[in-house]
Amino acid sequence: MRRLRALEPLAWVGPAVVLIAVVVLWPVIEMIRSSFLKISRFGIVQGSNGAANYEKLFGEKDFADIMVRSVIWVVAVVALTVLISLALAQLFNQRFPLRKVARWALIAPWAASVLMTAIIFKWMLDPEVGVINQIRLKLGLIDAMGGAAADQLGNASTAMPWLVFVAVFVSVPFTTYALLAGLSTISADVYEAAKMDGAGRLRTYWSITLPLLRPALTVAALINVMNVFNSFPIIWAMTHGQPGYSTATSTILMFILKSSDIGESAAMSVVNFGMVIVLTAIFLKVSRWNKEVA
Amino acid sequence: MNIKLVGGAALGLATVLVLSSCGSGGSGGSGGDDQASGGGQVTLKMVAADYGSGPGKPDSGENFWKGVVDEFQAANPNIKVDVQVINWNDIDKQVATMIQNGQVPDILQTGGYSGFVNDSLLYKVDEVLSPEVSGDMLQKFSDFGKVDGTAYGIPFVSSARALFYNKDLFEKAGIAEPPKTWDELKADAEKLKKAGVTQPFGLPLGQEEAQAESFLWMLGNGGGYQDASGKWAINSPQNVETFTYMKGLVEAGLTTPNPGTKDRKTVWEDFGAGKVGMVNGGPMSIPIFDAAGLKNYGVAPIPGKAGPLDTTLGVMDWIMAFNKNGHAAEIKKFFDFFYTGSAAQKISDTYKLLPVTNGGIKKLEGDEKLKPFLDALPNASFYPFTDPKWEAVSAQVKQTIGGAVSDDPAKVLGDLQKTAEAAG
Repeated sequence: MRRLRALEPLAWVGPAVVLIAVVVLWPVIEMIRSSFLKISRFGIVQGSNGAANYEKLFGEKDFADIMVRSVIWVVAVVALTVLISLALAQLFNQRFPLRKVARWALIAPWAASVLMTAIIFKWMLDPEVGVINQIRLKLGLIDAMGGAAADQLGNASTAMPWLVFVAVFVSVPFTTYALLAGLSTISADVYEAAKMDGAGRLRTYWSITLPLLRPALTVAALINVMNVFNSFPIIWAMTHGQPGYSTATSTILMFILKSSDIGESAAMSVVNFGMVIVLTAIFLKVSRWNKEVA
Repeated sequence: MNIKLVGGAALGLATVLVLSSCGSGGSGGSGGDDQASGGGQVTLKMVAADYGSGPGKPDSGENFWKGVVDEFQAANPNIKVDVQVINWNDIDKQVATMIQNGQVPDILQTGGYSGFVNDSLLYKVDEVLSPEVSGDMLQKFSDFGKVDGTAYGIPFVSSARALFYNKDLFEKAGIAEPPKTWDELKADAEKLKKAGVTQPFGLPLGQEEAQAESFLWMLGNGGGYQDASGKWAINSPQNVETFTYMKGLVEAGLTTPNPGTKDRKTVWEDFGAGKVGMVNGGPMSIPIFDAAGLKNYGVAPIPGKAGPLDTTLGVMDWIMAFNKNGHAAEIKKFFDFFYTGSAAQKISDTYKLLPVTNGGIKKLEGDEKLKPFLDALPNASFYPFTDPKWEAVSAQVKQTIGGAVSDDPAKVLGDLQKTAEAAG
């Protein structure tokens, strides 16, 4: 009977453990295993391939550029998202008429499918008929529809900012709501005390709001880092990583490789996985997440 | 707070894992072997790809094959044909699963056959097709059904390319006839540009099908992906010259802007909307133009450097017979019925695909829009798809060949050549 009691916790955590093992651990092991196999285009395993998949991957002409671009992509999107969300959360935390409507409206980009959003932006940027180009034409920014000047997605230097814009657009709602939740946990007493001590608005924000918001901020930014790094639909729908590989991130490269060499694609996945862990570790280090609020 | 964070991190981690293991679901099982039962009744199990717009649609593969099979069974009461239609995305995987599980179909209709030859799974063509039918096949097509001189794959349907031009825009620009040479093409494109056409020549060199558009241009200068001896020749002097010429068109603003990022679907839709003067297309683009409301367009052979192409890009699908269950005689009856009866023509009509037999071509010759395709078909050129490296090369071409018309053609083609020589 006592023995049975000792096993009782297992019954409670068991399902969760099994779930994690099957849904999380097993795919990781399978992914790492695949990256050392030689796999035919139809998915038939042809035996071990040693480290050849990795050698081929690191030998790709565009590999280094793509990895650097992936990091820039993550940093740019997450930084902009967090800055905009901090401001928006502050705004939505104030009382103003129609606040409810405004809060609901912010959910829209979040509720819509990311792929759909990306395709709509691609259409709006269409050089022949896109509404954004019609506006630019009216403003005199371009001479005519249909030319290279109207084709912003056709050129990496103009496509990249648009990709970042769309990624920020779809990330802001979640981040704002996470921060809004954080803001609402800060008690009014603290602000009152600050006021009594004569702290100004900026000083209050810097020394009271931000430090107390740190838990929410850390979680929101961390989830964004991983999400954005693995973001596939926006870039794929809008540019396919083209021209060449000049707007591709490592996730896009992984997908492209899948059609020609599954083993190499698996190697890319493993590198991707490692990158997320490294980025996360750096992020946690920088944000000193486990230090208690001073 | 730490617990919350760990929870969030775990959730995020799980998301990462799900996203990065971009797997695809398994395939559903299919019925067991249908062996010949008593009384001489034989059931042929057939697996076919869906050329239609999906299950439940009027043009679905199920409906098409039901019509064919009903007619066949009425004429051959002892043979029952059980057709399973699978969409193009899943058919390779599902067939592989069937074979691995020993549930081999009798007949398979899909995009390739050569993968099954090595394992001796297929009947030879002359065991399952009458000489009259195989003799009527287009020679160039049936030659590709051979491995080491023995035919295993039977061409099923084909597709080809030609130049579509907008007659209204040509009239507006004062052009009487579609161009025949590159010089004429450039002159016409300039006239179209002056007449206010934003994309005189539609040039899709983006992800979707850059390998096709590139190949059509290479053919215009006697080039190709491989030379006559089957060696990769992507950066041959002819091809470099071809892409240098195309780069000139792009820089003069005579094409789709940034061709390396444009899919053929977008460009065809622009052509349908009357924004493009001319574009290379196939029978499959006709429904897109119709849907966009464009009526007054013509079809002509594709211009080459010195004159119009007498060849075109041919693409074909295959039908084949597996030998595991016996049934060669019954399969032969079904194949002969398919090619000599109305079925082969019906598939051309329904899906705008081209026939692979001389007889089939004759039946369609009255169609003015299809004529340029049919004329070029017997002399079609093909991707080097029998080369095991082709898939890897094709993937790379799709991604990067657009650079050959914006950067240095020799360098971009040279890099592709390196990929072709190294891919393994």
